[in-house]
Amino acid sequence: MIVYIARRMVTAVFMLLAIAFVTISLFFGASKDPARAMCGKPCPPETRAKVSAYMQTDQSTVWQYAEFVKGLFVGRTYGEGAQQVHCHAPCFGYSFPNRSDVTTLIAERLPVTLSLAFGAAVLCLVVGIGFGALSAIRKGGVVDRFSTGFAMFGLSVPTFLVGLLVVQVFGFMLNALPYSGFVSFSESPTDWAWHLIGPWMVLSFILAAGYIRVTRTQLLNELSADHLVAMTARGASARQVNRHAVRGVMVPVVAMFALDVTALLGGSVIAEKVFSLHGLGDLLLSGVNESDLSIVVGVTLFSAFLIIIGNLIADLLMPLLDPRIRRA
Amino acid sequence: MPDPVLQVEDLCVSFTSGGVTADVVRDLSVRLDGGRTLAVVGESGSGKTITGRAIMRLLPRGASARGRIVVAGREMLSADERELRRARGSDVAMVFQDSMSALSPYLDIGAHIAQAVRLHDPSVTRRAARARAVEMLDRVGIPEPANAVCRFPHEFSGGMRQRAVIAMALVNRPALLIADEPTTALDVTVQAQILALLRELQQEYGMAMLLISHDFGVVGSVADDVLVLYAGRQAEYGSLRDIFDQPAHPYTVGLRAATPRLDARLDTGGERTRLRAIPGAPTSLRDAGPGCAFAPRCGLADQVGERCVVETPLPTVRPTSESGGLHLAACHLDRLPALQEVAR
Repeated sequence: MIVYIARRMVTAVFMLLAIAFVTISLFFGASKDPARAMCGKPCPPETRAKVSAYMQTDQSTVWQYAEFVKGLFVGRTYGEGAQQVHCHAPCFGYSFPNRSDVTTLIAERLPVTLSLAFGAAVLCLVVGIGFGALSAIRKGGVVDRFSTGFAMFGLSVPTFLVGLLVVQVFGFMLNALPYSGFVSFSESPTDWAWHLIGPWMVLSFILAAGYIRVTRTQLLNELSADHLVAMTARGASARQVNRHAVRGVMVPVVAMFALDVTALLGGSVIAEKVFSLHGLGDLLLSGVNESDLSIVVGVTLFSAFLIIIGNLIADLLMPLLDPRIRRA
Repeated sequence: MPDPVLQVEDLCVSFTSGGVTADVVRDLSVRLDGGRTLAVVGESGSGKTITGRAIMRLLPRGASARGRIVVAGREMLSADERELRRARGSDVAMVFQDSMSALSPYLDIGAHIAQAVRLHDPSVTRRAARARAVEMLDRVGIPEPANAVCRFPHEFSGGMRQRAVIAMALVNRPALLIADEPTTALDVTVQAQILALLRELQQEYGMAMLLISHDFGVVGSVADDVLVLYAGRQAEYGSLRDIFDQPAHPYTVGLRAATPRLDARLDTGGERTRLRAIPGAPTSLRDAGPGCAFAPRCGLADQVGERCVVETPLPTVRPTSESGGLHLAACHLDRLPALQEVAR
């Protein structure tokens, strides 16, 4: 077990290094020039060259990648004398537009994204599994028809539309919910939740669709499964049989959930934009807009890291739910 | 006469959906003693599986049963949940057609059998139940039973799985075993092994067996008595000999003629013969009116005339020469003409 986890982690490190390289290559492949955004207007070529040299973006991609990897271990120093900035190890890069190293930036934004992800994940599980289960139990009933339509809607409608609708309806028309801003949990838990209800609704609405569908299909399969009839025939009570049916539903739901949670933790660009929340998604977006290489690489790596960890946790949980996997 | 292990009186099972009611089993009466095997034969939709499920009160949602079912002295139709749980798996057990879907993919073979033990005797420890499972697997002829208990259903072959299902059903020594097409999903050589095993265990445990099948080959090798169902009604009942040698219902004759035989060439003096099919399809149970349900497909209905369309034939006693047992047939014809003619 420990060997398995260790092996997975070593693979993960190499994977992340590869992802960093690809991100840096793609960044310059898109002919972005961080120096251009920094040197202001007007920007004479000499100034631009100076800025580029200062930001160390004038070198080849491979050299930059090497510097990046080196920075992870020993830190990185940009410029000289009065203009010198140092980024401590492990250095994921320095954001010149923000005058801060990326690690600090991510740490600043993380609480917002965490809050957003937490609520959305809980809400989408409750709604998704709840409606999925209810519609499977009363197949063809009112709840089933409603939640099937609901799921269809959630799968096909884009996030920004739902987001804008929620802002419009609950924020402006009903004046019931705040439509932007963030209050930290430690400041006031009620205000925290109050400000996040809107984005939670939006994200969980989009995500719950998948859970409704999977839960419904899986539970319907289980409920009509012969092995449950056989279990009743052995003398098991309805309760014992139902508990066994839940297990079959859990396997795909857990697999899906692990991926969704990690995606949420990596930042939800659109929902954050719509509700003016300054989380990781917003950070990434500003990084792209300002041609800020360090932010793009930093946030991408952070998301990739989360996805790898999420997958690992899912892979470790799966055999507990489905013993067949333990054997394979 | 000792009390029968299974007694079914005037069983009716009906399905209701969308305000429409369909009777899938009608006025069925069966009596089965310990140590004997009754085969229930019929086409798909004739109500044989539903009959088996009704006995264990395992009917799907929307189905209801009326009449009387007594298994080992227990009234099944009036029993409450607790009593049913006690009966299921202990007094009466079931072997299913598809062994893959009858076993939970999340439990190993041993867990299935141990569960059957512990559900009926919570005082048995996990370890002891597991040991019972090993014993039982050994009894049904699974090699290396100590290893096999830890295997999962998908790691077994079809024949092995069906053996495991049998072990699971018989671990509590039920008085009645309902075997619902137990060999249909298996290939022919394995079929013979499983049938032999069932027969052997039946004798050893002295239990009664209700064998549900559509295959006269299987029936012929296992059954003592045969019940032929058509459209949920009893078409014919009798000892194996009577049914095979002196069928008294045209449907039974049709079914027999539709069974492939290895010796068919000999029968016709070396001439090649085509397998006969019963013309038409089973009547819809929804618009069942008066008259014999088989009449539209019966080659002899013309001979009898209007009576077949107007009056539902009731099972009546037929004179039997050989076995001396009860022989019932629900046909307006007292005596069938020669076999060849019936199965045109």
